[in-house]
Amino acid sequence: MNCKLLINALSARVFVFTITLFLLNIPVFAQNLKVAVAANLQSVIKVLGRDFKKKTGLDIEPIVGSSGNLATQVRNGAPFDLFLSADMSFPQTLFTEGFAAKAPVVYAFGCLIICSNQNIGLANWEKLLLTDKVKKIAIGNPAIAPYGKAAVEALQNKGILDNIKTKIVYGESISQVNTYITTGVAEVGFTTQSFIKDVANKTDLFYKIIDPKLYTPIEQGLVKLKHADANPDAEKFYQYILSQAAKSIFVEYGYHVQ
Amino acid sequence: MDLTPIWLTLKLAGITTLLLLVIALPVAGWLSKGRSVFKIIIEALITMPLVLPPSVLGFYLLLAFSPQHGAGKWLQQVFNIQFVFSFQGLVLASIIYSMPFMIGPIKSALQQLPISLSQASYMLGKTKRQTFLHVLLPNIKPSLLTAVVLTFAHTLGEFGVVLMIGGNIPNVTRVASIAVYDAVEQMDYSAANTYSFILFSITFVLVIGVFIFNKYKAKSPLE
Repeated sequence: MNCKLLINALSARVFVFTITLFLLNIPVFAQNLKVAVAANLQSVIKVLGRDFKKKTGLDIEPIVGSSGNLATQVRNGAPFDLFLSADMSFPQTLFTEGFAAKAPVVYAFGCLIICSNQNIGLANWEKLLLTDKVKKIAIGNPAIAPYGKAAVEALQNKGILDNIKTKIVYGESISQVNTYITTGVAEVGFTTQSFIKDVANKTDLFYKIIDPKLYTPIEQGLVKLKHADANPDAEKFYQYILSQAAKSIFVEYGYHVQ
Repeated sequence: MDLTPIWLTLKLAGITTLLLLVIALPVAGWLSKGRSVFKIIIEALITMPLVLPPSVLGFYLLLAFSPQHGAGKWLQQVFNIQFVFSFQGLVLASIIYSMPFMIGPIKSALQQLPISLSQASYMLGKTKRQTFLHVLLPNIKPSLLTAVVLTFAHTLGEFGVVLMIGGNIPNVTRVASIAVYDAVEQMDYSAANTYSFILFSITFVLVIGVFIFNKYKAKSPLE
């Protein structure tokens, strides 16, 4: 009997404790900055996050995905404070639709490379792609991945798109293209230069920078979302991304800045 | 409106179901008889795709079929077959992925048949194979149908594995579930709705069909 009472009392305590914890936690969660990040920034965002933490003591919580997917999530109520897209059109659309208070700004320009995990002579990539050595070419889905769009443009401008069309496989984001390159399921892939910096120590990769004249500049846009109104720290990260400190990190990772 | 993803999905589900039926009959027959540690392990392996995240399967298939090493390299060099980014690859993945849906119902139906049925058949001089094909199988028709329809429907719903090893190639690996995902990402909600609605309708009709058929057949002489 006593034992039962004790258990009852204990479970009541545990219950109250759990509820208290739960209530306490809500404001704690709200403080965390949720940043939606385009897949091409996967590696650089970790460095930016660490640098931002050092300067302000604030943590960010990156959510990585393809720009199109992230924009759709924002539109459907995802609680993101900021959105670092791989292009300007997705943030621009979000702004026009009223999901952001201010128009998007360019924070960096992307750099397209062709990359392989074998040394198969990328110096002459436009000829290489036509040979038998390359069976599959991985690019991001041009409809949703800005680097994929740039790759298609570059191939078009080289006049070889139609000849190699059957070799192309589409990744749903640039990170999937990177997986296809590192696992070697595709002999070559078009990706972002920042990818090289991230995996340089883990996998041997060979790459060549694609002449920027071959594609429309990849303007990457930043936008502060409506959800950030409740969080004053969002503005700090917004300013940080546009600061000199962040810019030099972007440059180090192969992006261009103004 | 480009309906090729729907046709591709139906083709994939059809081929997968047909191949799985051929594979599943002997395997289910073997599993339904007796018990051993080896059998338990095999059955567990077959059942695992039911609970395992499709990404696990996708990841291992991606590594296994990379043309740069191991099995993938051998297949590429000897037969010039590449499983990643190809329709054959999707068929193979779907066979693994949908296997429990085909083998499960057939196996349990065979187990529930009274042992006297096969014993009577042997007594009358029929071989094991004749007994299996002409005595046991006709008695588990409802379960066979359930297995076939569920396998077909489950393959229609395949997404994670295809996303990882398909490469989203139009007419080759761009199946309906991927087309829906793509359309949503492109904010083309009307296309997403068309694909989704077609898939929804097909699946609904299939499942309803199984329910009706099973109810009608429920009073089989053996039950």
